[in-house]
Amino acid sequence: MRRPGSASPRGRYPWAVATRSRSARAAVLASSVQRSKPTPYPSKARSALIRRTIVVVLVLLALALLTISFRSPSSGPLHSVQSAGSTVLRPFQIAATRVAQPFRDAYDYVDGLANAKAENAKLKRQNEQLRLAALVAAGKLAKYPAYERLLHLEQGPSFPSGFRPVNAAVIAYPDGTFAHEITISAGSSSGLRLNTPVVSGDGLVGHVTNVTPHTAVVTLLTDPQSFVSARDLHTRVRGMVQNGSAGTLALSEVPKQFRVVKGDEIVTNGTQDPRFPDIYPYGIPIGRVSSVGVTDTATFLQVQVQPFANFGSLDAVAALVPKRHR
Amino acid sequence: MTLLDGVKAAVILFVAAIAQVSIFSQLHVFGAVPNFLLVSLVAIALLRGSIVGAVGGFFAGLLVDTATLGTLGLTSLVLTLAGYWIGRYGETTGRDRAHAPFLSVAVVTVLYEFGLLVVHFVLGESAPAGAVVRSLIPAIVLNLILTAPVYALVRRLLRVAGRDELTTEVQLLG
Repeated sequence: MRRPGSASPRGRYPWAVATRSRSARAAVLASSVQRSKPTPYPSKARSALIRRTIVVVLVLLALALLTISFRSPSSGPLHSVQSAGSTVLRPFQIAATRVAQPFRDAYDYVDGLANAKAENAKLKRQNEQLRLAALVAAGKLAKYPAYERLLHLEQGPSFPSGFRPVNAAVIAYPDGTFAHEITISAGSSSGLRLNTPVVSGDGLVGHVTNVTPHTAVVTLLTDPQSFVSARDLHTRVRGMVQNGSAGTLALSEVPKQFRVVKGDEIVTNGTQDPRFPDIYPYGIPIGRVSSVGVTDTATFLQVQVQPFANFGSLDAVAALVPKRHR
Repeated sequence: MTLLDGVKAAVILFVAAIAQVSIFSQLHVFGAVPNFLLVSLVAIALLRGSIVGAVGGFFAGLLVDTATLGTLGLTSLVLTLAGYWIGRYGETTGRDRAHAPFLSVAVVTVLYEFGLLVVHFVLGESAPAGAVVRSLIPAIVLNLILTAPVYALVRRLLRVAGRDELTTEVQLLG
């Protein structure tokens, strides 16, 4: 037996339930009495049928609209009706937009404030990255002329035959005033040996004095122990280029009777006698005569040479490796 | 359901559809858009049953498709089924349950999003399932936030059916 007030098997609605163990008040209520709605309530089966019919009709209608609209999205009577409907709805949409505009502005303002800090940090990071990238690009760009000159030298007619260039970056610069050495990123694995001449795009730089498989130490022309047999390209006068004063070079051992003119180019002399081969091939530019001095007491001319190579800002050099090792 | 109730429900859905198209569709929160229309439809369907839910969903969808010049019938189809289903839930197990609006909104949000996805896919249009899945949780949360005020407002506007409309007979058992 069901408890008083529990749902009947026919559901909670539209009938209520009373039991036989009822009170006098309940007895009155127990009789099947029509309540305030005089109209007969439709049966469950009938209402379910109506309900399902309605939803099926609506779904079919939606599918029909969908099909027609999809097949002709920009033409046909349905499109005209839709356009007209849109035109009718447009004022309502505009009104709604205007009503919502202050709220939207307020939301955007608050949202902007909330995001400002994160955006600021992000932009700072981005700025830092861009600055770094710009510095790297500027650094590469600054090295570009040196690379171009080096390439020009290697492909030019003055490049000594019998040698091949081994390009290398300068990875360490002279450490202190009295150091005249640089370290380059090529070594014996690339064919470099002791005394291998090294040039930049401007002219002679020096020669290799220490070599490892992947690096080499190059002693510059400005080293006091560096001597290069050289000659004046115009007057053919020979001499010895060595360290001069104030970062310049000097062409020494030129007898007073020979003529050297300011502005003349000095190049390497090269091997004159195969029995005594020179480490530098002929014709590598060294520098330009900046002054010529002569005294009554001195035996030789005092020729000052301004080197073509800027030893303070070498970025890329080429080692001249013989095509056939001697 | 009186004629006045029908008019009120129609006005509510009209306003909700316009608000959805003009205001709520532009509110992107965590990649999701709050669906004011869907929440309103759920409230009406829960209070007025499956037939009102289905009819209301159909015409509300038609309004949205018309206002946005989208494919007619697309939103109608999904909202019709959503309104009907929520209406049936309100007529049966969900009746007078306090959690019914929230549960309905959460479930119907998922079904609505995936329903639209399926229809778009069937039509051969862009159907980014990943984006829908990613925005699903925020969409449910946003719709749930809207549920309490919208349901309260709709309940206030649509008079709750009186007892005389619900119980018409008393039957003796045993």
